[in-house]
Amino acid sequence: MMEGILEYLYNPLVLSILVNMAVFLIVTLSLNLETGFAGIPQFGRVLAVIAGAIGAGAIAGRMMAAMMGLPAGIEYVGDQNFVIVGELNKALESNPLLSIGALILSLAVAAVMGGIMGYLASYPAIRLKEAYLGITLLAFGDALQIVGMYYDPLAGGTAGIVVPDVFRFVGTGEIRFLSSTLIILGIAILVYLYVQSLARSPFGRALKAMRDNELAAKVYGKDIVNLRAKTLIIGGALAGMGGALWTLYTGSFKALTYNRLTWTFWPWAFMMLGGTGNNLGIVLGTLVFSTVRSLIYAYKTELTAFIPINPNWLEYLLIGVIIIAIALFRPQGILPEKPELPLSRKKIESIRASLAKGD
Amino acid sequence: MQILAGPIVQILMTAIGFSGGLALAAAGITLIYMTTGTFNFAHASMTAWGFYIVFSLYKVLLGGNPYLYFPVAFIFSGLLGVITYLVVNRWLLKRGADMVTLMMSTLGVDLAFFAFINIFADYLTATYKVNTRLIVLTTEDIILGKIGTFPFKAITIISVVIVVGMALFFYLLLNRTKFGIAFRITVENPALASILGINTETIYLFAWFMGGAMAGLGGAILSLVISGTPTVGNTVIVPEFAASIVGGLYSIYGGLVGGFLIGLSQKLIINWLGSVLGGNIVVYEPIIPLLIMAATLLLYPEGLAGIDWRRIFSRSKSSRR
Repeated sequence: MMEGILEYLYNPLVLSILVNMAVFLIVTLSLNLETGFAGIPQFGRVLAVIAGAIGAGAIAGRMMAAMMGLPAGIEYVGDQNFVIVGELNKALESNPLLSIGALILSLAVAAVMGGIMGYLASYPAIRLKEAYLGITLLAFGDALQIVGMYYDPLAGGTAGIVVPDVFRFVGTGEIRFLSSTLIILGIAILVYLYVQSLARSPFGRALKAMRDNELAAKVYGKDIVNLRAKTLIIGGALAGMGGALWTLYTGSFKALTYNRLTWTFWPWAFMMLGGTGNNLGIVLGTLVFSTVRSLIYAYKTELTAFIPINPNWLEYLLIGVIIIAIALFRPQGILPEKPELPLSRKKIESIRASLAKGD
Repeated sequence: MQILAGPIVQILMTAIGFSGGLALAAAGITLIYMTTGTFNFAHASMTAWGFYIVFSLYKVLLGGNPYLYFPVAFIFSGLLGVITYLVVNRWLLKRGADMVTLMMSTLGVDLAFFAFINIFADYLTATYKVNTRLIVLTTEDIILGKIGTFPFKAITIISVVIVVGMALFFYLLLNRTKFGIAFRITVENPALASILGINTETIYLFAWFMGGAMAGLGGAILSLVISGTPTVGNTVIVPEFAASIVGGLYSIYGGLVGGFLIGLSQKLIINWLGSVLGGNIVVYEPIIPLLIMAATLLLYPEGLAGIDWRRIFSRSKSSRR
């Protein structure tokens, strides 16, 4: 039985769906926190994602190299990159604890980088409105991608860099991809539980109040500036971890792949399909879209026989049409937003009953 | 570095052509935003279609003169705008959808149009055996004469003529015709306009047609100024957004001025920086419009059109007294 499941999981298509789903779930949940709950038009999601990826790939990697006495300066991202990372990987392979430490370090650096980006984004976010804010955030994301692509000392420029394999503690080869996918899935579940608890907390309710009526929230003593900044920092840190996990999973960083379409607009589409403001909906939307994308990608060559066009364009066409269809026919998404109860329904009712008795 | 700093005339001419294309497209974004409240992401593909129409008709299908196909680009992208309105935007407006839904729906439209450009490019490659993935028409422009040793290209003049013509057209339309009055009322207060018997749908349809058409015409101009690939829309959309936002989103003229502000500064600043700091800096060119936009917005959160120019002028007059 167990072996059967394992064999099924080894299927590259299943792995691809799972890992895409897990990484994009983290990014989309962070987007939902900022857009769905706080009402900030975050069209620059890629900013924090790319910052996290750089944090894990270039900064945490350099820190590890420095700790082991390997060159960590400009050589790390230059032509020595492959050699240095090879040395690091050997060390990580021989010591599983070190490897786990490296994973935690990478994620921590990524979260800090993403959080810093969120803090920077809060500067326009408390001054600008709607379209102005959305496009300014979009511009921030593009700007960082351009710097990443052309400023070689940061993370290798257009050629990119290879990244230390912090998943070495689970082994190498096939098992590495399977186990790392499961670890990423586990982190995604933790992130889900975290944002869900945020949504049910007073903080989450304050965000929704701010989104629905800023003036009323202010009247009730909510500090709008503080709420926005906090949301952007938390969201940025989560998105940074998403970007970092993708870099760590693929074992390389290339700024070119962190573009606005994949890391801003796709998460937006996932969120809209699932249900803006509903974390469970986000899980559903991400699962559906990741499956469709992975299937198109996997059966590209087979598809070419049936349709006269390149399947790449089919993906764009399909996602475009889905976005339009959602906007037209089900703007609230598959699972519409519903009020988050601070406690379970049963508990609330029992408290209410005991209060009624007390009277 | 000498090579960069040398042909300032040529750089200026390219910058003017580039700005003209940008200005038209940005004014199109503004036009659609001020009437329907929709920030149009599909402008990327509408510009790219204008670019591609000129390329395919001139270089592959018919030949002749690239300027012959400018009207085709204008009408084709205008029709894309009409399709977007009739199929998507109209229903969302009727339902009173929020800004984010309006924006995202145009992103869906953009992805579909983008797919069609690529399918068209594949078709051209398969049928006519031409490279449709890298398009260079900049060398095919008509040369009117010479400034010093540099060729004086027609697009420099034509782009300015088109932009001025468009500004004049809108000025006359909005201030001298009944339709213009109806248009302005609809922008100010759609509910009141429909009470007065103005068919707001006609106004929206006009805005989408002209908005798309200006994007197409901008793309046609850009095809003679920059080289491109099917993703050209994706590259120029950011300066287009920047120009529109800097212009203030509530004034067509603001969009046109914003286009020139962004386009000229992008091309001129990067060349100046290149001559000072070395040629390596040139790759950062796309960041310049973003910085200008960010700086403008942080000073004036509603763009240039949000500034009360009359007050500034009257204040400077009174201070002179």
